[in-house]
Amino acid sequence: MKRRSNAEWITALQEGGGDQAAALADLRTYLLRAALFTLQRARHQTSHLGPGVLGQLAEDCAQEAMTAVVQRLAEFRGESHFTTWAYTFAVNTALVAARRERWARIPLDHVLDGSESRPSTAGDDADPQRRALQAEAVAAIREGIERHLTEKQQQALRAVVFEQVPLDEVARHWGSNRNALYKLLHDARRKLKSHLLARGLDVKEILDLFAVAG
Amino acid sequence: MKRNQLERLLRLVAQTEDEELSCSACFELLPQYVDLEVAGDAPDARLPLFRQHLEQCPVCRDEYAILCEFVRLEAEGRSPSIDDLRRTL
Repeated sequence: MKRRSNAEWITALQEGGGDQAAALADLRTYLLRAALFTLQRARHQTSHLGPGVLGQLAEDCAQEAMTAVVQRLAEFRGESHFTTWAYTFAVNTALVAARRERWARIPLDHVLDGSESRPSTAGDDADPQRRALQAEAVAAIREGIERHLTEKQQQALRAVVFEQVPLDEVARHWGSNRNALYKLLHDARRKLKSHLLARGLDVKEILDLFAVAG
Repeated sequence: MKRNQLERLLRLVAQTEDEELSCSACFELLPQYVDLEVAGDAPDARLPLFRQHLEQCPVCRDEYAILCEFVRLEAEGRSPSIDDLRRTL
């Protein structure tokens, strides 16, 4: 494949003719390699799929990434190598596909509607004083969640933070998007941080309290 | 809630900032950050909010880790071929 500078990539992809066809073919190869690499690294998400199915998934992801790259070419600002910029779409597309393969078979309703958002971990340190501080901290966190977070924020916290469901899978379940869900969680974290500070509790000190005990 | 879940929540709350990057902003900065990192060119000094978002967002963190590894292998001339990758799927 021909090596190209950023400017040569952009020129070739924007102009018609043989240069464009060659650049598109090379780009397709680069993106397929990135998609295959990503799916290989994310193999734990797709252990139920055979190599043939996964190979086809990589082809589909490379095609989707190619469409995105061509459509968003005007957004490339030259702050990275063009190929790194293009790979970003392939990696993103392949990881979204791998996560979907894993989580599509798992019903999220029971995760979102469970009752596990409230901390029940009691202090379990041998030192009675430390145990009392742990219990106080857990009670404060429980109060913060129940009093300051909306039901939606509690559900998001339960799914994404406690059960480690990927952000984009929860967003997809809700018909939302990654940005909106990240903001929902960011607001929830800020509220909890403010609540703990207002109670005179430093979050890092609470963390140390449990980390040392653990 | 289990102890590891409590610790995970506390870590995220402890590292919470008033202003954080969105996932879209992280995605836009990702290729620049990775190129700077692979070149050993202090990406955190140039893009200070990026790493904080990665600490908060496992989905973006996964994308960063794979892209960074892929670009690094390519820069070192050790990028696997399509045939190699197909064989090891």
